[in-house]
Amino acid sequence: MKYVAIIRQVPDGESKIKVDGGRVNLEGATLILDQMDEYAVEQIIRLKEAHGGEAVVVAFGPERTEEAMRTALAMGADRGVLVTAEGYVDPVTQAGALAKVLAEEAPDVVFTGGQQADWDSQALGAAVAEALGWPSVTWTTAFELEDGHAKATHDLDEGAEVVRVALPAVFTTQQGLNEPRYPTLPGIMKAKKKEIKKIDAAELGVSGSKVEILEQTIMELERKGKIIDGTKDPAAAAAELIKLLHEEAKVL
Amino acid sequence: MALDFSLTDEQKQLQQLARRFAREQVAPRAAEYDQNEKVPWELVEQLYEIGLLNISVPEEAGGLGLGLVEEVIIGEELGWADMGFYTIPMASELGITPILIAGTEEQKKRFLGPLTERPSLAAFALSEPGNGSDAAALRTRIVREGDEYVITGTKMWISNAKEADFNVVFATFDPSLRHKGVIAIVVENDREGVSFNKIHGKMGQRAAPTYEIVYDGVRVPVENRLGEEGEGFKIAMLTLDKTRIPVAAGSVGVARRALDESARYALEREAFGRPIADFQAIQFKLAEMKIGLETARMYTYYAAWLADRGDPEHISASAIAKAYASEVAFEAANQAIQIHGGYGYVNDFPVEKLLRDVKLNQIYEGTNEIQRVIIARNILKALR
Repeated sequence: MKYVAIIRQVPDGESKIKVDGGRVNLEGATLILDQMDEYAVEQIIRLKEAHGGEAVVVAFGPERTEEAMRTALAMGADRGVLVTAEGYVDPVTQAGALAKVLAEEAPDVVFTGGQQADWDSQALGAAVAEALGWPSVTWTTAFELEDGHAKATHDLDEGAEVVRVALPAVFTTQQGLNEPRYPTLPGIMKAKKKEIKKIDAAELGVSGSKVEILEQTIMELERKGKIIDGTKDPAAAAAELIKLLHEEAKVL
Repeated sequence: MALDFSLTDEQKQLQQLARRFAREQVAPRAAEYDQNEKVPWELVEQLYEIGLLNISVPEEAGGLGLGLVEEVIIGEELGWADMGFYTIPMASELGITPILIAGTEEQKKRFLGPLTERPSLAAFALSEPGNGSDAAALRTRIVREGDEYVITGTKMWISNAKEADFNVVFATFDPSLRHKGVIAIVVENDREGVSFNKIHGKMGQRAAPTYEIVYDGVRVPVENRLGEEGEGFKIAMLTLDKTRIPVAAGSVGVARRALDESARYALEREAFGRPIADFQAIQFKLAEMKIGLETARMYTYYAAWLADRGDPEHISASAIAKAYASEVAFEAANQAIQIHGGYGYVNDFPVEKLLRDVKLNQIYEGTNEIQRVIIARNILKALR
């Protein structure tokens, strides 16, 4: 069996992000393996440990993505394939290039993050499945291999459904799927010697992005500072407060 | 162009791993371990799982054989999260180092190999109830009987002593010979006649266990001796010349934490209608902390780099790093409390613990006064 995790490198949620001239400036930001992709890496390593086979990480992104790939290799993945392209490329175009890599790798199972921390996009997993003509299960919270099929739990808004899927198939992760391990220091030292094959995106037919980003701004959060006057009619003020907490704040 | 301050890719990844572990696993539990005076053994186990425990054990003995630069990278991150916790792996390296310095290949495999096979610690027993800075005045007696030594005496302030597999013990076969009468010997904790009394009521570093050890006629085979009879004192000094560098690294971590907490608080806390960060009185404190932090870190790395290269200059450099970084960190913790005002004085905020913890960094592994003696001796030695 062969298992693939598609990963991305994103800014650490705790690092300060600057916007210069309508563009996010990542200079000085700590870049990490996307935490949603960590579940994917953990899952393929567990599959390899339980059933044997090969755990491969695949990525589409700038050269620096290699650092995140080394983290995945330090966690225990066997090798990596990195499709390199600088700048923003939309998920559908990325999926087209990744599909060519996956068609050649011919894995049984593909995992990737349910959502990407940088662009907040949820498209990559589904778009890869679409490009390959494979089934996809999004927001997976449980996964098992069963005689050539996979049994997976798919998160819904108000519940979950359990599905049986023919392989190969693409699964996207959701919190709860597993508890990702830390890389280890011996793993970091071994990862240095593991193979990362690099392919220029242009060789896979990528000539640009279908979507161009014109401007980026930072969301400003402001408190509404709504004050209810409780001095004249405290009972009515309390009722108003309850109503607002229920209908607007939705905390009651 | 030989000067190069960059870390290798693996060192950067090690730093990222240690930082993440410190932030996610150590920092959230630090206050609890401090209050309960409880050994965080589950963190020791996790540290072992991710490969950050006993990293200097050589490859021949099954370890990673890493150096002080790597130890310093880990030390800063763990010190940032909880200096008390960091003392546990740090003191284990202190117990390992004399074996690296004076052990035979067979001894390295026999004593250090098991440390790589499960979560386990080493310890270093030099101080006694009546001697600290005057290390050559130790009174623990060691007497040879055939193929064995018999050890009798009391050791004091020993980190990890009971949790460790063994203590490297320094004992004298003739107190009148002072430092020339010392033997270094590995004493496993399961030998008959070894007992431990835990020291309670420490001001800080309460996660790290500290013991008095009593050796009551403990019989140890001659094969456990490190080096020759009479070389023990030299082995202890060669060890401390290296292992006080991680004390500096932990101090750098404490200083960084003091600055992180202070800068954040200064932006949040308002007085006279604006954040206190707007006042120069506060800005100057932050700037002083930053000056101390950056210079202490740089010098600590330099000392580690010298030691890893085997440059004898590391003897003086490690003393400078230890004394300087621990003083910078103590002052940073002190000013962090001042910036936090009343909130800094209670344990709802993490800064009072920084001060209590880092006070010990000025005392253990050679007081800062002893560090100055070492520094001065190296200045004068070159001229005499």
